[in-house]
Amino acid sequence: MSEPINADRGLTYPGNLGCPGCGASIAINHALKGLGEKTVLVIPASCFAIMAGPYPMTALKVPILHTAFATAAVTAAGVRAGLDMQGDNETTVVAWAGDGGTFDIGIQSLSGAAERNDDIIFVCYDNEAYMNTGVQRSSATPYGTRTTTTPGTGWKRTRKKNIMEIMAAHRIPYAATANIAFPDDFIRKFTKARETRGGTRFIHVFSSCPTGWGVASSLAIKIARLATRTNIFPLYEIENGTDWTLNMEGDLPVGDYLGLQGRFRHLSPEDLEQIQREVEANLALIQERVAATRVRRAHLKLEA
Amino acid sequence: MIASLRPTLLFPVTRTSTEANRTGSWRFVRPVYRFKTAPCSAACPAGIDIPTVEMLASRGQLYDAWAHICRENPFPAVCGRVCFHPCENACNRAELDASIAINALERYIGDAGLMAHSPLAAPEVAPLQRRVAIVGAGPAGLAAGYFLTQLGIAAEIFESSEEPGGVLRWGIPSYRLPKSVLAAEIARIEKAGVGIHCGRAITPDALNELAARYDAVLVGAGLAATLRLNISGEASIVDGLAFLRDVQTGSAPVVSGEVAVIGGGNTAIDVARTLLRQGARPTIVYRRRRQDMPAFGHEIAAAEAEGVRIVELMAPVSVAADGDGVRLEVQPMTAAEVGSDGRVRAVPAKQPPQTLRFNRVFSGIGAEVAEPWHRPGDEADTIRLSHCVIRCAPHAMGYIGDPVTAENSVAHAIGSGKQAAIALHALFTGGPEAVLPAVERCRVGPGPALSLEIYLNGERSHRTSRMVTFADINTDYFSRAARCVIPALAPAAAAAGFQEAVTTLRPREALAEAARCFNCGICNDCDNCRIFCPEQTILVDAGGRRSVDLDYCKGCGICTVECPRCAMDMEEESA
Repeated sequence: MSEPINADRGLTYPGNLGCPGCGASIAINHALKGLGEKTVLVIPASCFAIMAGPYPMTALKVPILHTAFATAAVTAAGVRAGLDMQGDNETTVVAWAGDGGTFDIGIQSLSGAAERNDDIIFVCYDNEAYMNTGVQRSSATPYGTRTTTTPGTGWKRTRKKNIMEIMAAHRIPYAATANIAFPDDFIRKFTKARETRGGTRFIHVFSSCPTGWGVASSLAIKIARLATRTNIFPLYEIENGTDWTLNMEGDLPVGDYLGLQGRFRHLSPEDLEQIQREVEANLALIQERVAATRVRRAHLKLEA
Repeated sequence: MIASLRPTLLFPVTRTSTEANRTGSWRFVRPVYRFKTAPCSAACPAGIDIPTVEMLASRGQLYDAWAHICRENPFPAVCGRVCFHPCENACNRAELDASIAINALERYIGDAGLMAHSPLAAPEVAPLQRRVAIVGAGPAGLAAGYFLTQLGIAAEIFESSEEPGGVLRWGIPSYRLPKSVLAAEIARIEKAGVGIHCGRAITPDALNELAARYDAVLVGAGLAATLRLNISGEASIVDGLAFLRDVQTGSAPVVSGEVAVIGGGNTAIDVARTLLRQGARPTIVYRRRRQDMPAFGHEIAAAEAEGVRIVELMAPVSVAADGDGVRLEVQPMTAAEVGSDGRVRAVPAKQPPQTLRFNRVFSGIGAEVAEPWHRPGDEADTIRLSHCVIRCAPHAMGYIGDPVTAENSVAHAIGSGKQAAIALHALFTGGPEAVLPAVERCRVGPGPALSLEIYLNGERSHRTSRMVTFADINTDYFSRAARCVIPALAPAAAAAGFQEAVTTLRPREALAEAARCFNCGICNDCDNCRIFCPEQTILVDAGGRRSVDLDYCKGCGICTVECPRCAMDMEEESA
C-alpha cells in the first residue's frame, strides 16, 4: 500500500472530544464542505463548545469565537459588522448552536438578529436535549421522550417547538432543514445558505446523539435516516418565509424510528399511533404550504 | 493561521489543535476493510469475480470488465450465450427485487471484447520451461491450454476434427452460439500462444508418444459416443448428437412432419429445436416428469415457446420401421420414490403400452466416452480433484472435461481446465504434495470454483471465504429497480431459422443492469465510510484503497454499518 493521502480531512482536525458516533461531528464535516474555508464560526455553550476544542486547542481549521449561551446570533452579527468594517465581505459568519442555544436560551438573540435580518447563517444542530450537561429536556425534545428531567412515567408530554415556523415568521430569505444522513442535500443547503447573502439564513440540522438517545453509536446515521424516512424530520426549504419546497417524502411508519431508541422504549402502541397522526398532520401542513407556493407562483407568472 | 494571532488580544486564543488527543485510545472495537466472497462468484463454476466485473461495467469500463472476466474465463462471449448461469440463482439481489442478469451482461461485455479485437493479457509469471500436450480442443482443453499459458507453461492441443471447439462447435446449434463468435474466441486463445493442431486423432500409441515427449498430457476428449437406449429396433433411431453435427456441416438430411426426440437433457432440447427449424414438428418423449428433466429450465421454456411438444412419463419400449415412418411403442410411467441419485424415479404405470407413429425418431439421451482411455483408470498415484483427475507417475497425466466433472456444462469444463492447469503448475513447481494445497488455496469462497487470480496472489487472494448474504447488505442504499428485459426474437420468428434466438443487451440497458449489482463484499468506492466518519479517519491512498487512521478512530462503527456491501467488519481490540 502506498502512503495514505491525508489531504481530504477537510477543515477539521482529528482528536475532537465528541462521543463515538456523534452526529454533530458529522454535521460539522458536511457543513464545512458547503461553507468553505472563508468561514468564521460563533459557538455558544453546547457539546460543540467542548468538541471544537477545550482551551487552548481547536478542532477546526476555521476561526471560532466562543460565546455565551444566550448570545450566538448577536455575537455572529457583531463579527459580521467587524468584518464589514475591515472591508471583508467574502467571509461567511456562522452561528453554530445546539437546540438549547437555539430553541430555549438563544431564541431572543436569534429572533433579534432575524428581525434585523443580520447577514449571518444560524445553524441549529439539534440533538433534542441538553446533552452536554447530561440529557436534560429542552423545548426541542419531542413528545414521548425520556430524559433525566422527564424520567420514568414523567416522560415529556408536550410537543417539540416548531422552530422552522418561528423562523419563517421572521420572513428571512432562507430557512432549511438538513439531516446528516443525507449528505448531498445537506451540503447543497449549506452552499445555498452561503450564497444567499445579505440576510439571516437559518438551517435546522438533525443531529443524532447515540449517548443521549440510547442508540448504538454505529447506528447514528441509520437512525438519522429513519427520522426523515418516517417524516418525523422532513427535509424542506422556506424562501422569504413564504415559499415552501419539500425535498423528499418518507415512506415508513414512525415505529421504525422510535422503536430503535432507548428514550422511546416505554411508548405503547397507542402512543405510537398518536405520534403517527401528529407526524402525518405536520407533513400535510407542509404539503399545503408547498401547494400554496406553487399556486402563488403560477399566478405571478400569469400576471407577468 | 492559529499561531499568527497577536498575543495582545484581551481574550484567550487557542494555539494548538486537537490532534494531540489520540482519541483512538478510547476504542475497544476497530473497523477493518475485509473484502468477502460474493455468492455469485462462488456459484460460478469458472470462478469469475462477478461483483468486480459488474462494478467496472457499471462505470462504462468495458475493456477492464472484459479483461477481468478473461482472467478466469477466456470465453465470455461464448458463456454469455450458452452458460446455465448458476450465478443468477445465488444472486443476493433476488431478495430485494430480481437477480442481476449476469449472463446477459457477460455476453454484452464479451461481445464488446470481440468488437474491439482485444487480445488476451500476456502471462504475468516467468516461463516455466515445461510443455503440456492436450488431447481434444473442446472447452476443457482450450481452457486448460489458456490457463497453462497464463501460468508460463507451453501448451499444445491435438484435435481429431478439422476444426477446434468440440461440443461448442458440433453440439451446440448456431441459433444458440454463432460459429463466428466461437471462432473469434478460439482464435484469441491461439494468439495468446496456445498451439492448436487439428485433424490429429490420437490413438493409445500416439498418447504414449505424447507422454514421452511432453512433461504432461491432459486428456479432454469429451463424451463423443451417444448412449444406447437398449430397446429393440434401435437401428431405426437417429443418433441426435450425430444429427446436430451433420447439421453444422450441412450434411444432415432435411426432416419434416411429426418427429420424436427421446430424452430430457440439453441434447434432446437442442435436437428438437433444430428439427423445428428444419420445418419438422418435434415431440420430446421423456420417461420421467417434466420437472425431472436434466435440461436447463430456460432452454426447456424456450423450446416449448417455439412449439416443441413435450410428452412426459413415457418410456420407449421398442421402435420398428413402418412404411415411410417409424412406430414407437411407449410404456406410460408413474412417479415413484426418490432414487439413489436423489431424483424421483419413474416406474411403469398400470396401463398398457401405447404406439405412436412418427416420420423419424431421434435419440438425445446423453453420451459416453468414445474410447475407454478417455476416462482415468484406477491407478495408484492418482489425485482426484473436484473437476479433474491428475496422475503423477509414471508420466504426469490429467483428465479434464465432461468425463470427470460431476455436472456437464461449458462452465464446468472451463473450471476443469483451470483446475488441471493449476494442479500441473503445482506439480511441476512443488511435486505431488503441492497439488492439493494449491487447489485448496485458490478456492472461491467455500468452492469448488477456483480462481487463477487467487492462485497468482492477486487482489482476490485477500478476500475472506465468507459469503455475503442478503442480511449483510444495507438495503437503505438500494431501491427497487426492474431487471433488464433480455432481448430475444419472438418464438415464432426464432423457430423459423438459425439466427440467434436471444440477442445482446443495448448499452444503456447493460449499464443500468450492471449498476443494479450490490457488488457484494467488495469496495466500489461509494465513499460512505469516509463521508460519514465523524472523526474523518478514513484515508485514501493514490490507488484508491482506503484505510483507517487508528490514532483517532473512536470505534463508533458507523463506517461498517453504512457500508452498503459488507466490505468492512468491526473487530475487537486485543487487550
